[in-house]
Amino acid sequence: MTGTRSATIFALALLAPALIYILAIVAYPLVDTIILSFTNASLRQEYDFIGWANYQRIFSAGNFTEVILRTFIWTFFSVSIKMIIGMFGAVLLNAAIPGQTVFRILTMPPWIVPMAIGIFMWGWMYNGQFGMISGLLQNFGITNGPVAWLAYGNTAFWATIITDVWIGVPMVTIYFLAAMQSIPKDLHEAAWTDGAGRFYRFRRITLPLMVPAIITMSLLSLIATFNSFDIIWILTQGGPSGSTTTMIIDTYKTAMGSRKYGEGAARAVVISIFVTIFCIVYFRAVRKLQQGEAK
Amino acid sequence: MNKTIGLMAVSMLALASATSGTFAQDVKEISFINCGDELTAGYADYFAEWEAANPGYKVAPEVVGWGQCQDKVTTLAAAGTPVALAYVGSRTLKQFALNDLIVPVPMTDEEKAAYYNYVPDTVTFDGTQWGVPVAFSTKALFWNKDLFEAAGLDPETPPATWEEKIAFAKQITENTDAAGYGAVAKTFDNTMHQFLHWVYTNDGSVIDADGNITLNSPQVLAALTALKDIIPYSEEGPTAYEQNEVRAIWLDGGVAMIEASVNAGILADEAGMNWGVAPLPLGPDAKGPGTLLITDALAVFKGTGVEDQAISLAKFITDGQRQWDAEMAQGLTPLRPLHSDELVAEKPYWKPFLDGIEFGGPEPLFTDYIGLQNVMIEMVQSVVTGQAEPQAALEKAAAELEQYK
Repeated sequence: MTGTRSATIFALALLAPALIYILAIVAYPLVDTIILSFTNASLRQEYDFIGWANYQRIFSAGNFTEVILRTFIWTFFSVSIKMIIGMFGAVLLNAAIPGQTVFRILTMPPWIVPMAIGIFMWGWMYNGQFGMISGLLQNFGITNGPVAWLAYGNTAFWATIITDVWIGVPMVTIYFLAAMQSIPKDLHEAAWTDGAGRFYRFRRITLPLMVPAIITMSLLSLIATFNSFDIIWILTQGGPSGSTTTMIIDTYKTAMGSRKYGEGAARAVVISIFVTIFCIVYFRAVRKLQQGEAK
Repeated sequence: MNKTIGLMAVSMLALASATSGTFAQDVKEISFINCGDELTAGYADYFAEWEAANPGYKVAPEVVGWGQCQDKVTTLAAAGTPVALAYVGSRTLKQFALNDLIVPVPMTDEEKAAYYNYVPDTVTFDGTQWGVPVAFSTKALFWNKDLFEAAGLDPETPPATWEEKIAFAKQITENTDAAGYGAVAKTFDNTMHQFLHWVYTNDGSVIDADGNITLNSPQVLAALTALKDIIPYSEEGPTAYEQNEVRAIWLDGGVAMIEASVNAGILADEAGMNWGVAPLPLGPDAKGPGTLLITDALAVFKGTGVEDQAISLAKFITDGQRQWDAEMAQGLTPLRPLHSDELVAEKPYWKPFLDGIEFGGPEPLFTDYIGLQNVMIEMVQSVVTGQAEPQAALEKAAAELEQYK
């Protein structure tokens, strides 16, 4: 009995720093935000509890559902493209080609460069008057004049996705490369001996064995991309005409721009609900994969 | 020996703590946030002068970059730990006042009369003043004379009306590689400012003194329609550019006309451009030269215990000659016509920036300034990109503004 008790105390003592950290950094702000979302908190020191009014307001405003939909579309394309390019990149880096190490190093800059600097760099490249992309298109005679990529809803939407993909691809590539290298070589060798071609081996051996890595990376990327703020804020601030306003931008504008802390908190809670759902899906998927591996 | 050294150490510590305690008791600090990259020219001397006249008070200035300044001041106030005195955009004063974060700083009639007309209005809400004006900006039309000449226009004759402005922009776009006009329509605060140039050069307004939204008027409709008409002769994709980016295009010879503050002329000289500056062209209903009057103000925050001293300090450093010297050092439009005649005689390019004040208008004061800004930007962008017709965009914006006033 005494042994069990001391073991429990020892375990709690070991867990205490992490528990305190999570309570202070995650639980307290989360609970505080939920409480705030039921108030009319603003710049004024005092505030009143107003029940569900903030939630009613944001969902009856009309454009919030549009913002949610846009966030999902933005996230879907960004994550999908990252996964596809990341997979291609991993295959190329895994191939026995000369200068392989150099290519692996060259993959890293988007991840190494401070994010804000990378985003500003893209902002300049998208600039219609002085930007590289517009300049190249004009030099090759593809366009007659400058094209300001951040000036129109469609192009701005895709420009922000491309920048997010550029920043996110290295991590996906390296993760997929590691997963690819953990596949036993003898499987490929046996298939090659049986006359299986490159694409057949990729489709029937590499891809199925990488499913756990793909699912894990997709869900982690989904969670990070859903809350991606810096890229859109620096490039477009949600414009033009709200075409790049995602939920996180909308929340920031409400809470920190208009100083409607209560309403901003309600919007943040809605984001948290979505992210929680993604996390539940992620943990379930991980558990299933672990159970599969155990069998 | 050791005991003696120990006693001396204890005595010195006691003395040191007593001194700092006495200092803390006797000298009250007036915290002051100064936006910018460095303390405003002359302020260090002004603080020393004011401190000499107000023993027991010490000014503690903190310089905060423009990007973070407004946010820092607001967050400190909202958190209940305000600074005593801070540099803020006058447009935010109404929001601060309604949230009980700042104290009024009433002006006497004599003080009001010393300013250019409308300047006191930029800090006035509910019949009283809520800040001391500290910086003033007005705009005028800059044009590239070489591009005018290349397009077959008289390089010495700038457009005087909207009609001429649009016609000149068309001629330049059609006859040179440059665009005629630098339109500003990015999701950025100065998109609203630039649109207000059109509004205030046609006797329009956004909100009246009684708090009624007056945006949906024939004057503002004409302004929005004129903006729509000039877009085909502007740089490609104006929704991608804010004011300073358009200025960079102008300095690069990519557009012929822009609306900017006096600094554009200094930069144009550095770039070796052949340029001119004139009052903003006028709309059909204009009563005289107009411009947007933007001021920054020193706001005195509540709950610091040194509110009266902060007001005294704010009025001291912005008084007559001191303010004029600071303005000239920074290249700002003067708040008061103290030596304006001499200024124009010495530097004639200042004239259009001062002439426009007479029929200019202030940044509208709204409870939710960001809400106002977002609505105005959305209205401009929807017209510039052709998503909405001016009348429909105006009606929508006017209706939405009701919730932010």
